[in-house]
Amino acid sequence: MSATTTGPTTTDTTPTVLAGGQRLVLLGSRTRPWFAVVVRTRAGAVGAAFLVLAAVLAVATLTLGELGIPLAELPGVLAGEGSRAQEWTLFTSRLPRLGVAVLAGAAFGVSGAIFQSVTRNPLGSPDVIGLGAGAAAGAAAAALVWPGLVPTPVGALVGAFVAIAAVYLGTGRGFGAPHRMVVVGIATGAMALAFVQLALVRASRESAQEVAVWITGSLAARATEHVQVIALAVVVLLPLALVLTRPLQLAEMGDDLATGVGASVRFSRPAAVVVAVLLTGAAVSVSGPIAFVALTAPQIARRLTRSSGPGILAAACCGAFLLVLADLVAQYALPGTLLPVGVVTAGVGGIYLAFLLVREWKQVSV
Amino acid sequence: MTTATVAPRAPQPARLRGSRSRTVVLAVGLVVSLGVLVLMAGLGVAVGSKAVPLGDVWRALVSPDDSYNAAVVASRIPRTQVGVLVGAALAVAGAVIQGLTRNPLGDPGLLGVNAGASMSVVLVTAFLGAGLGRTVWAAIPGAVLAAVVVYVVGSGRAGSTPVRLILAGAAVSAVLVAVVDAVSLAKPDVFDSYRFWAIGSLAGRTAQTVSLTTGFVVVGLVICLAMSRSLNAIELGDQAATSLGLAPGRTKALAALGATILCAAAVAAAGPIGFVGLAVPHVVRSFTGADHRWLLPYCAVLGPVLLIGSDVIGRVVARPGELMVGAVTAFVGAPFLVAAVRRGRVGL
Repeated sequence: MSATTTGPTTTDTTPTVLAGGQRLVLLGSRTRPWFAVVVRTRAGAVGAAFLVLAAVLAVATLTLGELGIPLAELPGVLAGEGSRAQEWTLFTSRLPRLGVAVLAGAAFGVSGAIFQSVTRNPLGSPDVIGLGAGAAAGAAAAALVWPGLVPTPVGALVGAFVAIAAVYLGTGRGFGAPHRMVVVGIATGAMALAFVQLALVRASRESAQEVAVWITGSLAARATEHVQVIALAVVVLLPLALVLTRPLQLAEMGDDLATGVGASVRFSRPAAVVVAVLLTGAAVSVSGPIAFVALTAPQIARRLTRSSGPGILAAACCGAFLLVLADLVAQYALPGTLLPVGVVTAGVGGIYLAFLLVREWKQVSV
Repeated sequence: MTTATVAPRAPQPARLRGSRSRTVVLAVGLVVSLGVLVLMAGLGVAVGSKAVPLGDVWRALVSPDDSYNAAVVASRIPRTQVGVLVGAALAVAGAVIQGLTRNPLGDPGLLGVNAGASMSVVLVTAFLGAGLGRTVWAAIPGAVLAAVVVYVVGSGRAGSTPVRLILAGAAVSAVLVAVVDAVSLAKPDVFDSYRFWAIGSLAGRTAQTVSLTTGFVVVGLVICLAMSRSLNAIELGDQAATSLGLAPGRTKALAALGATILCAAAVAAAGPIGFVGLAVPHVVRSFTGADHRWLLPYCAVLGPVLLIGSDVIGRVVARPGELMVGAVTAFVGAPFLVAAVRRGRVGL
């Protein structure tokens, strides 16, 4: 209303450019706007770019390979006009796999972004601190050791929470000591993977192959129910993550400062950790502990958006892109061999971790 | 002459007597530990995933016949021998690495050396056709390479810290394990029967494994034990070591060589097994102190005790299958990592 009295709205909605590629969009008078929102144009553009890339890779995933559906026929088969073989390939094999890759990748990315923000450390991501391994142990317990007690995803969640509790208590200083957390996390992860091996050996004697796949994480033979689990998790938890992490961006400058400007992190930080653990648990229950997506996705997103703060959406898009890419590589990198996707992410992610370490230590002494 | 040498010692007879009695205690302890090792080796032969009555075990050892039980017991003997060799190698290598890097979190598994050794064994086996677990030479280049890369990545401008080294070890291990997985999955015909080796296992070792590993372990142990006095000096820092008449660079290189040979032999024989090299020196140090002249022999004796004990546990918990010993040592050893961090000696 004040807009009509004080002047033309066109000038008032002119975005004010802020630092870090952000724009402040005001509606109403410049001095007393009735609506103001910070639009992160750069983050939005980066996220959109990742989504476009992921879509291109998705089409490639659906069309490539022996059973692939030619690009021209793809819309027809999607609409239900293909042959039986084509429909089986698409709806039973490739789409679920793609869906799990996109959604689990996003879940890993968001989970990593939250953890890296909470611990104020790029190395505090769920795969480094043993969270993924804990979820795998929980999933193994639910599926193999006590089958029928709880559904596998619930088992994975319990495992993830046990692991994070072990890390939290093991450091003796909670999440306040990032490097302690990493070392305790490595110990927790080793124990969790040992438990997975125990569960597999007890379940079947011919299990060495399964051990490798469980521990590295794979997207082979995913079914619709896997997509449902991870879709539910992402749909519910992603908005929660977005809401809860807003104060965390300020908290990266220190709790006192955040409280000083009115963003209390006493509630939102533990709540965000819970959301991150839930996301990891859900992702691990459908794909296994795929390494280093949670570490790399938020890092790459942050570099590209040049923003501080968790950058949840950009991390989600980046994670989805990375996992679809890794899965494509895993399927076609070695002719005649279907690698578990975790092998690819571990190889590439390990190199990235080393790069991160060298970089970090050039800047500061840890 | 005699008075001249005795006179300066006169003020410290109490300390001298104290250290002498301490020497006696430690020596007796070492003998007791050897006894424990013998008992544990007996357990390793007597207990397994297939239950064999003790009487049959004894009969199979004294007068082996063609019975199934005798064959089972006979198959456990090389396995136990490999356990002794690998346990000693890993524990001593861990202690030496901890001394060299002045890092209480040193462990061949955590620092990526085991992963490097297993990568080169897998590559050599896949592309040159040498038998897996047959040659220690194949493991050495990978172990050296991994050790160097971890050290370079783990040492920033300000030098290495325990955490940096461990993180670098985790990163390098991830890459190397991915290579191992990719190669072994790409050539399933070559690796089908070796999957358990890739996780760290004593199962299915033969007398051939023992004979091929023994030489390397003995050489590695001799090098490391001979270096124990120098390692004591190194732990005081490079400057102190120089002033004590050592060439720190050469000393470190030699000790690292000994540790690498031990790791390579252990991995070639049993696959990458973690945490033995971490846990055993930590326990031993609690009663020997930091003196490598006692630390290393104790590690050589108690490492096998832990490894064979873990192997026995692994054979019992998952009957009729068996759990890979690497998984058991991770479960037993990982808490030591947490304990080491919490004790606050790693600067965290």
